[in-house]
Amino acid sequence: MSSQVSVVDKREKSKVSSSSKEKVSRILNRYGMLFILIALIILMSILSPTFFTTGNLLNIVRQMSVVGIVAIGVTIVIITTGIDLSSGSVIALVSVAAASFAHPDTYPLIVPIAIGLGLGLLTGVINGTIISKAKIAPFIVTLGMMTAARGAALLITDGRPVGNLSDSFKFIGQGSVLGIPVPIIIFGVVGLISYILLNKTKFGKYVYAIGGNEQAAMIAGVNVDRYKIFVYGYAGLLSGVAGIILTSRISSGQPTAGVMYELDAIAAAVIGGTSLAGGIGAIGGTIIGALIIGVMNNGLDLLNVSPYWQQILKGVIITVAVFIDSRKNRKS
Amino acid sequence: MGQSFHQKINPIENGVKGMSRDYILEMLNITKEFPGVKALDNVQLKVKKGTVHALMGENGAGKSTLMKILIGIYTPDSGIIKFDGEELKFSSIKTALDKGISMIHQELSPIPNMTVAENIFLGREPSYGFTGWVKAKELEEKTRQLFEKLEIDIDPNAKMADLSIANTQMVEIAKAISYNSKLIIMDEPTSAITEKEVNHLFKIIRSLKKDGVSIIYITHKMDELSQITDEVTVLRDGKYVGTKPSTQITKDELIEMMVGRELNQIFNKKQVEIVEIKEVALSVKNLSKKSKFENVSFEVRKGEILGFAGLMGSGRTEVLESVFGITPPDSGEIYINGKKVNIRSTRDAIKYGMGLLTEDRKLTGLFLPLSVQDNMITVNINEYTKGGFLKQKKIHADCKTLSEQLAIKTPSLNQIIKYLSGGNQQKALIARWLLRDPDILFLDEPTRGIDVGAKSEIYNLIFDLAEKGKAIVVISSEMPEILGLSDRILVMHEGRKMGELSREEATQEKIMKLATGELSKV
Amino acid sequence: MKVQKRLILFIILLLLSAAFISGCGEKQESSQQTSSQSGEKDKIVIGAALPDFDDKWLSYLQDGMKEYEKAQKDVEVIYVDAMNDASKQLSQVENFIQQKVDAIVLVPVDTVSAPEMVNKANEANVPIVVVNRQYEGVENATAYVGSESIKAGLMQMEEVAKLLNGKGNIAIMNGQMGHEAQIKRTEGNKQIIEKHPDMKVVLEGTAEWDRAKGMTLMENWLQSGKKIDAVVSNNDEMAIGAIMALEDAGKLEDVVVAGIDATPDALEYVKSGKLKVTVFQNAKGQGQGGLEIAIKAAKGENVEKFNWIPYELVTKDNVEEYIKKWQ
Repeated sequence: MSSQVSVVDKREKSKVSSSSKEKVSRILNRYGMLFILIALIILMSILSPTFFTTGNLLNIVRQMSVVGIVAIGVTIVIITTGIDLSSGSVIALVSVAAASFAHPDTYPLIVPIAIGLGLGLLTGVINGTIISKAKIAPFIVTLGMMTAARGAALLITDGRPVGNLSDSFKFIGQGSVLGIPVPIIIFGVVGLISYILLNKTKFGKYVYAIGGNEQAAMIAGVNVDRYKIFVYGYAGLLSGVAGIILTSRISSGQPTAGVMYELDAIAAAVIGGTSLAGGIGAIGGTIIGALIIGVMNNGLDLLNVSPYWQQILKGVIITVAVFIDSRKNRKS
Repeated sequence: MGQSFHQKINPIENGVKGMSRDYILEMLNITKEFPGVKALDNVQLKVKKGTVHALMGENGAGKSTLMKILIGIYTPDSGIIKFDGEELKFSSIKTALDKGISMIHQELSPIPNMTVAENIFLGREPSYGFTGWVKAKELEEKTRQLFEKLEIDIDPNAKMADLSIANTQMVEIAKAISYNSKLIIMDEPTSAITEKEVNHLFKIIRSLKKDGVSIIYITHKMDELSQITDEVTVLRDGKYVGTKPSTQITKDELIEMMVGRELNQIFNKKQVEIVEIKEVALSVKNLSKKSKFENVSFEVRKGEILGFAGLMGSGRTEVLESVFGITPPDSGEIYINGKKVNIRSTRDAIKYGMGLLTEDRKLTGLFLPLSVQDNMITVNINEYTKGGFLKQKKIHADCKTLSEQLAIKTPSLNQIIKYLSGGNQQKALIARWLLRDPDILFLDEPTRGIDVGAKSEIYNLIFDLAEKGKAIVVISSEMPEILGLSDRILVMHEGRKMGELSREEATQEKIMKLATGELSKV
Repeated sequence: MKVQKRLILFIILLLLSAAFISGCGEKQESSQQTSSQSGEKDKIVIGAALPDFDDKWLSYLQDGMKEYEKAQKDVEVIYVDAMNDASKQLSQVENFIQQKVDAIVLVPVDTVSAPEMVNKANEANVPIVVVNRQYEGVENATAYVGSESIKAGLMQMEEVAKLLNGKGNIAIMNGQMGHEAQIKRTEGNKQIIEKHPDMKVVLEGTAEWDRAKGMTLMENWLQSGKKIDAVVSNNDEMAIGAIMALEDAGKLEDVVVAGIDATPDALEYVKSGKLKVTVFQNAKGQGQGGLEIAIKAAKGENVEKFNWIPYELVTKDNVEEYIKKWQ
């Protein structure tokens, strides 16, 4: 018996000695992208004297809030090993739908908001239902929704923007409270709620479980279909939130709005450490990912880098960031 | 007492008769360190020409690392490798293959949509010069010849995806042999095949030996030692323990060398017979599922362990999956505590107090990227939620208690489960069900691919649970396991129940006869 | 309201199709397309190949054609949408030729594949009128109707230069890089700037024709601290985005913003004095002109090779006139 104990002790010891190194690598794992963000900020501050000012920093966060909110929804979808390509088009659909109910002196503010959020939720639930019940790949289903929603946005407006919005509606995207722009506040609230959902609730545990091993989750009694519908519904809802902010910010419902936003959102999630293989990802990481994209866009504009070079640089930085991330994961 | 035992074994002079045979392989003073862990510490392995050399040790003992060094996946920090009289520094698997070393990997990695022949000759297809145009006929013919020589009956043009696990394993074996290597490493080659194929494999090994081929044979199964191997080398915790002739070593000695402690009885079931007949917990009547199984009936009582025996593909797993609601049956009735129930999903099954530990940990059990704790709470999460929020403290406390009870070895409950050993992963999965405290527990191959120490712990756990009144059904392909655990054994063959044996009447032979369909007892 | 009704219809459609897909799974229905061979031979049939029905500006062009079509007796126009796919457009033109239409109106998807389509029509002796997008060798077509992109850039920049008294810092907001309109309009801008030694381009970026992106780009430019006297944008949407960013920063007073297209939204901004300059590219005029010439050619009448629909400068002085056009 005594020798059994000593064996266990020895093992524990070797685990302990390796765990301090593990800790370092875990910190790197968790905060690697944060370091890259900080490095980018320092670099931009050196290159452009006006970069590191309160005004500009608020500016960056406000600009990224729309894509950031979409990216949070997409992150949760990707954690379940899914994908959502429809976000950008849903934004456009929500944009024209909400705008058409937001003319001055027609409906109270709640109506366009409810219509926008409801429509976003609806498209997401439809995505989720088809994916889980008809067992069609998420890529295909959301690709279909991407095309259909964009078509619908163009169809119902004849391809023309819907203008003349009420002041109260415009406040959502243009106003600020205590000096903080409303979009940033909404971004923060969405981030917080999503963090709690993902980390403090059953829903979150199931999301990770489904992404980690869908079959095992099913055997463990998780209602996989229902949670998938929730997940896509939530992503759709957040596209709705993003669509309303965008519409309010540019004072018009635009059927061509949000083109390629889904790819920016996916990029933000992946830069933020979300694994396309599922089961891994965090809200904080995605927000950092979105900010990295935002800092790059803003900094390159400030430095008046040629538009051609901007595209190349963005591509390179995204690839390098994800490369570093994957290297570091492999090591651990 | 373990210490003194090792010293008795002189690692160099191990006194084998018929000396003078040369070593085909000598690995001396091999040391390999990974960040934070010394995986191998001054290890040696010497294999004689034309012999089968067993390599044993618990999971994590360093067997795999040593073999990976041999075939060139890792470079050792220090040490010498002599192969066929020549010192080697391998730089890649390709050079190892060229020198004459091939390996049958434990984790099968076939390319499912390619044919058997294409899989075997992957990377060395006969082709027309530089064009890379594959000579399909020749490829098929070469495979046919190889199979003829090995007496394997598989169509070279079949798709890998259509083969059974056992046949997939046979193809892997044929592939390793097809390199005409001087040394073949077999990493647990029998873990996925049935008795019949095992015998076939042993036949192949004997004929390879005759041709002067040497084999390193990694295994967890004690029985195989005396059957097929000549010598055995044991590693423990990255250190060399000793080398002995297989015929001279007893099971107990071997276990002691491997775990460093005495293990008189793996199955130390308290032989308290179930005197009073307890009530039936689960009763299944005439369960059928098209092209899977037919008319299967059985019952399990509280506190009883029912064994399910049979060959791979006999329908054992499918029956349990049906009862558990994964693939609901076409017809038949299920009674729990005497009440008829209708189970259409796993959620129903869990609601009625059932639990299922699945056969394939990685495929259907583990959430590999998640923590140990998150892996444990999945089934019982509803009990740990209040208004949608998780009761984090209670979760942590309960998981901690249980993980200590089951002696799950992990630096913390937040460790990603991917990095635990197979035995500890399995314990965590059992813990997942224990948190839920089901009345009926199905265990499908509960000890597959885990080391002997963890095995015995899991056996004890199963006995404990039975003693607490749980009804338990165990599926196992390992005869000693099913004989040692079960109060009653149900044997299946091709989707039918062939009979039931009581603990007293059950023998390996009887089970085999029922399992191969030679005998029916219904 | 029209928009709202269509929205409800769309949602019902979506729900139905979702229910259908998840309900019946694999079941598939093949919708049969009844191709209507519209050809009583006394009618003049014109094939109109358009690149993209969804494009806002092109929808005005199509409106122009439709209005003109209604005003004619015995003219039928078949509209097809290439969805911005040049190969699709080629096969559509080939179909027109097979159907033996009397003439083709072509708004090319891109200027590289257009000559091929024109050749096909010429070989089959079907008159073909190219509209809106000019390219080298366009004279092989029966006629060209359109405006010269570079002229818009010249016209826009000349007016800005006038407003700035020939000196100042210019920021150029490009459309999607590589589009013909982006290249030509910016080239026109720069030709004028070169004529004024006191004017220079201090910033240049792309906002991909999009209002939100124009706003973002302008915000970033404002943060750069560079002095900007005028923002010259390749289209109105981006210019409006810039205006909104400038308004937010309280700097609209100091900056002249100029766009191109004279969309209804933009005209409102001109009216309120926020957008100083825009350039009207007469979409309806081009559509109408294209169809008119195609009909003439179909009847065998002589037509001019080049038919320029002029750009028109829009400022606060003449904006009312254009607002009326859209109504």
